Amino acid sequence: MLTLIMLLPLVGVLLVALLPKSREGAAKWIALGITGVDLVIAAIALLQFKFGAGMQYVVKFDWIQQLNIQYYVGADGLSLPLIALSALLCFLAVIASWKIDVKPKFYFAMLLLLETGMNGVFSALDFVLFYVFWEIVLVPMYFIISQWGGKRRQYASIKFFLYTFFGSVFMLVGIIALYLKTGTFDMIALQAADLGAGNIFGFQWWIFAAFFLGFAVKVPIWPLHTWLPDAHTEAPTAASVLLAGVMLKMGTYGFIRCALPILPEAFGWWQLPLAVLGVISIVYGGIVAFAQKDVKRLVAYSSVAHMGFAMLGIASGTAAGLNAAMAVNIAHGLNTAMLFFLVGMVYDRTHTRQISELSGIATKMPLFAGIFCFASFASMGLPLLSGFVGEFLSVVGSWSSSVIPHWLVVVAGIGILIGAAYMLWLIQRIIFGDPSPAVEKTADIGVRDVITVAPLALLSVSIGVAWFLLLNYTDPVANALSKVIGG
Amino acid sequence: MNWIIAIPLLPAIAFLLTVCLPRSVRNKIVMLPVVMMIASAVLALVGLIKVFPGGEIGHSIWSTSWTLATIAASPLKLSLSLDPLATVMLVMVSIVGSCVQVFSLFYMKDDDRKGWYFTVLSLFTSAMLFLVMGADLLFIFAMWEIMGLCSYLLIGFWYKDEAPRKASQKAFLVTRAADIGFIVALAAIYTQCGTFDLATILSSAASWAPSVLLVVSLGLIWAAMGKSAQWPLMVWLPDAMAGPTPSSALIHAATMVAAGVFVLARMLPVIALSHIGLTLLTTIGIITALVGGFLACFQTDIKKMLAYSTISQLGLMFVGLGANAAVPTLFHLTTHAFFKSMLFLAAGIIIHATHTQDMRKMGGLARKMPITTVVFSIGAFSLAGLVPLSGFFSKDEIFASVLKTGNTTIFALGLVMALTTALYVSKAWFTVFFGKPRTKGVHEGTALELVPVSILAALTLVLGFFSPAFARFLGHEGAWPEMGLATISSVVTLAGALIGFFMYAGIIDTEKLSHRFNILTRAFNEKLYFDYAYDLIIIQPYMKFCDLCWKFDAKVIDGIVNGVSKAYVGLSALSWSFDGSVIDGAVNGCATLAKKTGNTFKKLQSGRVLNYQRLMVGAVVILLFVVVILKGA
Repeated sequence: MLTLIMLLPLVGVLLVALLPKSREGAAKWIALGITGVDLVIAAIALLQFKFGAGMQYVVKFDWIQQLNIQYYVGADGLSLPLIALSALLCFLAVIASWKIDVKPKFYFAMLLLLETGMNGVFSALDFVLFYVFWEIVLVPMYFIISQWGGKRRQYASIKFFLYTFFGSVFMLVGIIALYLKTGTFDMIALQAADLGAGNIFGFQWWIFAAFFLGFAVKVPIWPLHTWLPDAHTEAPTAASVLLAGVMLKMGTYGFIRCALPILPEAFGWWQLPLAVLGVISIVYGGIVAFAQKDVKRLVAYSSVAHMGFAMLGIASGTAAGLNAAMAVNIAHGLNTAMLFFLVGMVYDRTHTRQISELSGIATKMPLFAGIFCFASFASMGLPLLSGFVGEFLSVVGSWSSSVIPHWLVVVAGIGILIGAAYMLWLIQRIIFGDPSPAVEKTADIGVRDVITVAPLALLSVSIGVAWFLLLNYTDPVANALSKVIGG
Repeated sequence: MNWIIAIPLLPAIAFLLTVCLPRSVRNKIVMLPVVMMIASAVLALVGLIKVFPGGEIGHSIWSTSWTLATIAASPLKLSLSLDPLATVMLVMVSIVGSCVQVFSLFYMKDDDRKGWYFTVLSLFTSAMLFLVMGADLLFIFAMWEIMGLCSYLLIGFWYKDEAPRKASQKAFLVTRAADIGFIVALAAIYTQCGTFDLATILSSAASWAPSVLLVVSLGLIWAAMGKSAQWPLMVWLPDAMAGPTPSSALIHAATMVAAGVFVLARMLPVIALSHIGLTLLTTIGIITALVGGFLACFQTDIKKMLAYSTISQLGLMFVGLGANAAVPTLFHLTTHAFFKSMLFLAAGIIIHATHTQDMRKMGGLARKMPITTVVFSIGAFSLAGLVPLSGFFSKDEIFASVLKTGNTTIFALGLVMALTTALYVSKAWFTVFFGKPRTKGVHEGTALELVPVSILAALTLVLGFFSPAFARFLGHEGAWPEMGLATISSVVTLAGALIGFFMYAGIIDTEKLSHRFNILTRAFNEKLYFDYAYDLIIIQPYMKFCDLCWKFDAKVIDGIVNGVSKAYVGLSALSWSFDGSVIDGAVNGCATLAKKTGNTFKKLQSGRVLNYQRLMVGAVVILLFVVVILKGA
C-alpha cells in the first residue's frame, strides 16, 4: 500500500513527461487525478490502521544484498498521519496551481516527484532508502523554486538546496558510521543494537551530532533557519505550502524516527541543548516574524517558532512531549498550509505582499477575511483548534521532564503570547481598516479557493476538538519511545 | 437529567447553524439565536428548581465525561458536572444572556453585520455556560480562551474604526499574557496529578509540595488578574468599551470578567493552602478596588465610568476571595452581574437617545425617559450599596468576611472604596438625570429595550432578600447583615453620595480642588499613567527589539551563512587551481590563476547545482575518513 502511494506519483511523472507539447494543458489533470487517487489510498490506509499495533503495511525484501541494503517500508502512528498530510497537501497544491501556464508539464512532473520523495521519506525503514528519498525531495523543490519562484528565486533556491544538502551530508556520514559499526541499514534493527554509552564525544554522541545537523537544518532549528524565510517567500504558493506543510516535518520526523530510538543514551546529553534551541526558536522566530514587512515572510518566520514547540516536545522525552511534537507536525502542516494558500490568493489578486500596501481586506473580501482570521487563530494555538494541541502538550510535557528547567518552559509559554502578538498585529493591519488602493479593486475569493482551504480548516477544527483523532495514532509510538529514552 | 446539557448546547447550536451562512441570510435569522438563548434560560430555571435545595459546592448532581485523548496510555478525560454553584451560575449567565440578546434585537437592528454579532454572542454565551459546568481545568481553560476570542471579536466589531481595532487587540494580548499563568498552572497540575479533574485536584492538593502549590496558585491568580481586569492588568477593560454596548453588558460586566473570580473560587481551597495566595488576592484586590473607584470618579464618559466601576467591584470580589470567603464573593458576583449589565443596557438606551457618551452633555433625562431613569437608578443605588438593594447585601457580606479575618486595614480601605463608589454614582446620577436638558429630541427607549432592562432591575430589587437562601443553596450558613456593620457601611455610602451631590451642585468646587491638587488630577486623568508606562516599558522596546532581532537575523546569522558559502567557493576554487598547478607541474602566472579563479567563481555562482553536489560529495568522503579515524581510535 505504501509502495503504491509512493510509486503512483512516479507513474504520474512519466505520464506527464510523455505528454506531447501540444497537449501540455492535460498535465494538471493527470496530476490532479494521480494526487487524488493517492489521497484516497492514504485515507484508506489511515482508516484501516490498527492503533498501537506497531509497524503496519510492511514490505521488506533485499535490494542490494552485498551491502545488506533492503527495500523496507512500513508505517506506524508517527509516519502514517504525515503520509496522509502530504497526500492531502499535494492534492490541494495541484488545485492551487491550476493557473500555472509556464512550462506546466515540467511543473506538475516536479510536483508529483516531490510527492514520491516525501512519502518515501516517511515510509522508508532502511537508511539507504531513507537517504535516497531524502535527497530526491530536494531536486523537484529546487527546480520549482528556481523556475516558478519570485524575484530572488535563484538565490533562494540555491541557498535552500545547499543548506539542506549541507545538513544531509552529515546525516549520511552518521548513517554510514552506524553501518560500519553494526553492518545494517535497518532502522528498526538498529534500535536494538548496542551502541555503547552516550557520553560526550563518544560514538553515539557523534552520530547524534551528525543526525542533529541533518535534521536541525530541515526543521529548522535556530540558528540554522535562514534558508527558510528565503525559500518560503520566493517559492510559488504550492511549493511554500509543501515546504512548510510537509518538508519541515521531515526534520522532526527524523529526530523521532532515527535519532531518539537508535541513540537513546546520547539523547540524554542532547536533551537540554535541544530544549534550549527549541525555546530560542520559539521566541526568536516569533520576534523576528513581528518585524516582517512581507506577509509571506511573516508566515515563514512563524514556522520557525511553531517548529520550536515540536523540538521542545521532542527534547522533553516524555510521552506528552512526543505526542506534542507529532501534533505540531500535523497542526502546523494544516494551519500554515492554510495561511500560505491564503497569502497566495491575496498575492494573485493584489500583486503585492507588502503589509503596508494591504489593508481593509475585510471590507472587500469578507469571506477571505473570515477564513484568514480562522487560520490565524488556529495557528495562534487557540483551544478547540489544532494548533493548541501541540503547543499545550509541549508545555505540559516539558514541564514534567526532569531535565528541562521550569523557567525555560515559562519562556516557551511567553512564546505563545508572542505568537498571538504578530498574528493579531498582522490581522489588524491587513484585514481591518479602510481598503488600500491595492485592495480596493479586488473581488472576493471563489469556489476553487474555498475548496483548497476548506478541508484544512475542517481537519483543524476536528483535531482541535477531538484530540484522539490524532493522538490515537501517535500515543502508542510516543509512549513506547518515552519508555525507551526514559522520559 | 441529561437534558441539562441543552443549556449550554442551545446557544452553541445557534452558533454552528449561523456561522457558515452568508451574511445576508445570517442577518435575516437573528431571531434564531435569541430564541435558543431564551430556551436555554428557561431550562436553567427548571434546573434551579430541580437542584433545590442545593448542597455543597462540588457536590455533583449530574455529570458526564468523555475521553479527549490517550496520553502515555492513560486516558485524558474532560468532564462536565452540575453542582449547586454551576446551577446558580447557569441561571445568572443565561438570564443576563437572554436579556442582552433581546435588547440587542433593537439596538443592533440597523447594523449590516448584525447576524455576525448574534453569532459571536451565541458562541460566547455557550462558552461561558460550558465554563461554569466545567469539572476539569483543561475544559475550563478551553472555554476561557473561546470567551477571550469572542471578546476580541465583539470589541473589534466595528473594525473600520481605529479605536475598536486597537482595543480588541489590546484586550486579547493582555488577557493572553495572563493566560500563560493558566497554562503553566495546568502543566504543573498535570505533572503533579496526571489529570485536570477538579475533584481530584482539590482532594489531593493537601499533599502537594509547597513549590507546586505556589506555582499553581500564582499561575491561576495571574490568569484571573488578566481576565477579571485586576491591577495592574486592568488597562484593557476601559478600552474594551469601544465594542457595542450590549456586548459590553454581557461580556465586560456580567460574565467573562467574572470568570476569573469564578475559577479562583473553584480553586480557592488550593490557593488557601499556599503561603501567599490569599494575601496576594487581598492585596491585588484592594488596590484594584481603590484604583478603579478613584478612576471612575474622574470619568466623564458614561461607559468608561461603568467600566472602571466594574474593575473596582471585581477588586472587591478578589478581596472577598482573599478572605477565603467563596460564597459571599460568588453572591456579590451574581448581584453585580445583574445590576451592572442592567446599568450598561440602560446606558445603551441613554446613549442612543442622546447620541453621546459624555455625561456632561446629558442632563434632565428624568423627565424625558422616566422608565429608563427608574431602572438606571435601581442599578446605580444597588452599585452604591444602598439598603435594601442587592448590592448592599452582597457587599456587606464581603466586608463581614474581611472583618472575620481580623484585617481591619483592609476593611477600612474597603470603606474608602465604598465611599468612592457612592461618590461617582451620585455625581453621575445627578448629572445625567437632573438639571437642564442639554440634548434635543430625547425619547424613551422602545419596549424591546426596556423589558429586558426591567427584568434585570426587578432581580436587583429582590435578590438581596435571598442573601441567606443563596448561601444555604451553596451549602453554607446564611446570615443577615449585622446591624453595626450595616450602619457603618450605610453611613459611608450616604456620605459618599452627599459628596457626589455637592460636587454636582457646585457646593464643592471641583475646579478649585483640581487646581490645588494639580498633579493628582492630571495623574487620574491620564489613567494613572498605566497605559503610558506599558507603552514606554513594554510595547515600544518590544517593537524596537523585534526590528533589532530581524536585523541580527539578516546581517549576522544569514551573514555567516553567506560568508561561509562565499569562503567555501573561494577556497575550492583556490584548491582547484592549486591542484591543477601541482599535479600538472605547470606553474602558470598569477594572471591565469586569477582568471581561472574568477571563472570558477562565476560558474559556481551561476547556480550549477551539480557542481555543488560534486563538491559536497567530496566533503562527505573527507568526513567519512574523519569518522573512520575516530572509530578506529
